[in-house]
Amino acid sequence: MFGFRQFFSRRRRYTDLSVSIQEHLEEKIEELMEEGMSREQAASTGRREFGNAALIEEHSREVWQLPLLEYICADLRFAWRQAMKLPRFTFAAIATLAIGIAAQATIYSVVHAVLIDPYPYRGALRMVHLHLYDKDPVPDDLGLTGPQFAEFQKSPVLDGAIADDMYSRALTGEDLPEQVQAARISPNAFEYFDVPALLGREFGPSDNTHVAVLSYHFWKKHYDGRGDILGSVLEMDHEAFTIVGVLPQRFAWMGSDLYTPLAYSTDPRRVANVFARLKPGVTDQAAEQEIQPMLDEFHRQTPENFPQKFKVHLVHINELAIGRFRGVLVILFISVSFLLLLACVNVAILLLARGETRQTEIALRKALGAGGRRIVGQLLTESLLLSLVGGGCGVMLSLGAIRLVRHFLPPTLPSEAEIALNMPVLLFSLGVSAVTGVVCGLWPALRASRIDARQAADAGSHKLAGRKGTRNSHMALLAGQAAITVLLLACSGATVRRLSQLMHANLGYDPHHLLSVSLAVREGAHAGWNDRIAYYDQIRTAIGADPDVLSAAIAEGSLPPGNLALTPLTIPGANTAGREVALERAGAEYFATLRIPLLHGRVWSAPEIAHAAHLALINQAMRQRYWPHADPIGQTIVLNHGVAAGNVWTLVAPGNDQHFQIIGVVGDAPNQSLQEQVAPAVYVPYTGIIYDWFNLLLRTRGGATAGLLHRIKERVHEIDAGQAVGDIVTAEDLLDEDLGRDRFIASLFTAFAFLALTFAVSGLYCIQSFLVTQRTRELGVRIALGARREHIVGLVTKASLLAVLMGTGIGLALDLALSKIFSHWTSGNSRDPAMLALVVALLLIAAALASIVPARLAASIEPVEALRAE
Amino acid sequence: MTKNPAHRDLFPGALEMMILHSLRLKPMHGYALVKHIKQVSDELLQIEEGSLYPALQRMLKEGWLDSKEGISAKGRPTRIYRLTNAGRRHLEQEISSFEKMFAGITRVLALSKA
Repeated sequence: MFGFRQFFSRRRRYTDLSVSIQEHLEEKIEELMEEGMSREQAASTGRREFGNAALIEEHSREVWQLPLLEYICADLRFAWRQAMKLPRFTFAAIATLAIGIAAQATIYSVVHAVLIDPYPYRGALRMVHLHLYDKDPVPDDLGLTGPQFAEFQKSPVLDGAIADDMYSRALTGEDLPEQVQAARISPNAFEYFDVPALLGREFGPSDNTHVAVLSYHFWKKHYDGRGDILGSVLEMDHEAFTIVGVLPQRFAWMGSDLYTPLAYSTDPRRVANVFARLKPGVTDQAAEQEIQPMLDEFHRQTPENFPQKFKVHLVHINELAIGRFRGVLVILFISVSFLLLLACVNVAILLLARGETRQTEIALRKALGAGGRRIVGQLLTESLLLSLVGGGCGVMLSLGAIRLVRHFLPPTLPSEAEIALNMPVLLFSLGVSAVTGVVCGLWPALRASRIDARQAADAGSHKLAGRKGTRNSHMALLAGQAAITVLLLACSGATVRRLSQLMHANLGYDPHHLLSVSLAVREGAHAGWNDRIAYYDQIRTAIGADPDVLSAAIAEGSLPPGNLALTPLTIPGANTAGREVALERAGAEYFATLRIPLLHGRVWSAPEIAHAAHLALINQAMRQRYWPHADPIGQTIVLNHGVAAGNVWTLVAPGNDQHFQIIGVVGDAPNQSLQEQVAPAVYVPYTGIIYDWFNLLLRTRGGATAGLLHRIKERVHEIDAGQAVGDIVTAEDLLDEDLGRDRFIASLFTAFAFLALTFAVSGLYCIQSFLVTQRTRELGVRIALGARREHIVGLVTKASLLAVLMGTGIGLALDLALSKIFSHWTSGNSRDPAMLALVVALLLIAAALASIVPARLAASIEPVEALRAE
Repeated sequence: MTKNPAHRDLFPGALEMMILHSLRLKPMHGYALVKHIKQVSDELLQIEEGSLYPALQRMLKEGWLDSKEGISAKGRPTRIYRLTNAGRRHLEQEISSFEKMFAGITRVLALSKA
């Protein structure tokens, strides 16, 4: 009964309590008055003897409470009311934190997914490609025969190895054959990768060679993700394979559409590429030293499969996929960390400013009997509430931002990478923001809780000039913000300029309505040189006859701005040691189709192509490098491209001696991607060395490509029913893809820079407004004593202006110091004076705008009101 | 200014014991209780008035006291505190343990004097 009453009648208890205390005081005061004191004297004596009535009442009430929980609830309620009372402050703090956290978490998630852990494979970071280097700067992949592979696998430094062999094959058995990338992989491969199948099973050593495992994207694309395809049969080049499984989305080894077991042939010329995983703790150097003698032995067994004098070099699969993008991601990550730092600084400024203005409130609460621990606890609750809400909004924001980034990521990254919000980093960002909140919320609180009641009572008089310590810390924060903002603005300016240069560059060819399709010959088909040329030309003529196609040309390389392979070059009579040129093998229609202008001389005739004449065209860059003042026409050059003998897949024209006579000069078109200078290039007839695949470049009238692709397939089908045709690639898409990286970098840096600018400006605004509010009385006195308004404006803006200028100076110095690293990784120039001037002007104008409102406020202070306000 | 109530007692439980004992004589309201203790102890014991109320609430919660509405000496409404049976038992326990302690302290002091 009593417990029940205790629980439900707390309100009554509290009333009882205050009635008792009230009556106690009244009675005491009356008695003191009866002793002869005046009413005021008695009241003051009585209260002094009684002690702090409010605090005593609170302590008494605590008996009935679950103290901690009640405090927290009360603090939360109070914090909420405080937040609602200052909606602008609350919004600014929460938005700043949310943006900072979201930016950091998003970029780190990308970095983590792409750089740190992109692969689902077991021990992926130890997986390597084995590159064989000789004089040729483009390395060969290691290729081994069956017995050699068996021997290689036993190496003590390796934790497994696989062999694979990629082909473009035709999916037959349907209306029109479809081109697929099929990888034959050694039967131990799935055990090596250790990624379980999504559907069905993977194959192993006990399976026959006519089973297939599909990649996720091929399963989705070709079979619409149907679950009932397991056990059904697919036909490649009229060979049947049973589908036994589907791989998960992140398994994308070599980007193949499907995987079949590799059975090594007994032909020593049929090698397969070999990849390996190092044992944990084995360094690359140690592994290379261990493997080199083994490969030297293999070289003796099958000299034709190896370059002449080679060194093996291990490249981790990660490095190969990301390459130069790594540096950019690291720079982005550093920048975004700066951004989070800025956000925290901003919140610090906000909290400190508010803490200062609340000194009087805190002092008053203390005078009314609040314990130090209660005050600190309450301020802590307020900061934590801000941090948590900011953090929560940040999480939401980063979920959205990750979707956006996924959209803009350049396609060169490993396709296995799965970009999802990274938990540890999210927690880290939340932690940073919480710590900022706590530290910056507590600092003023602790200071306030130390001052005693007497000081607190006249806290107002401290407002004369503002405490010097506080002001210095504000100015330091402001300078730091300005410095970081300048740095980020400079990065953004550099990347945007770079992008616009690339986008407006003179291309040297016409990418509109230009596209290409690739075709691969069935293994072993059209194996004679004559036969294959005739076959390729027949396909070209048939497709060129389509009414939508203006012209069609055969080429080995894809469309610009793609990479053309570099080939060692010799020019008789000139010192060309170590020189290389970009090489394109093409048909007679190549230049007309791409609209690359012929500057000098002539192009091959059709019969010259058909007979693989030793005639070459060069580009303007090549002419300027080697014949700046002479006429190159009629000069002889020698290309050492290393496949003079030919093999199963590559057919060499009779009498190919690699000597070419120059017959013409054409304009420059990008051949090493847009970011690079146009390399000197040589064009030779594609018939000289003919591969088992080729690209057909088409200039069309425009219009939908899907209909065109279907007509192309039909025309090819009429020539050879088993010939598949690859997908259409347009020149404009390729340009877009090539610019993807620069566009990604530029848009991220720009977003960061403008966020930084916003943070810096709002930080400045807060500090200025705070200073003015704090000094209202002082400024009022000054105005009353005759200070001019300009002088007042100067007084409140001088320190901030100085801080911003100092910060700008530091930022510029840092930018100049770091520009080398920056330009190395992003090819942007961050020390361009015009751009830096623009950056500084932007920051200063923004700073001036942010100062106008507080400065005008200061100038319009009415002395009488200012003094009365206290 | 304000001190922690735990340190305000002469020794732990002393204030409570005096309150319980005073209320055994007759139910009283807060101010009367303070005056009573001061008078009876010949002003030797100056109890901090403020510390009375948290102690009263603690004892209410323990069930040693209960309170009812009443009228003060000056004719205004206040709350009168009264000892319960549980309070009476608790007081007796406290007194006996206090007497034992007091006897012990006296003996020790007598020995050191001799």
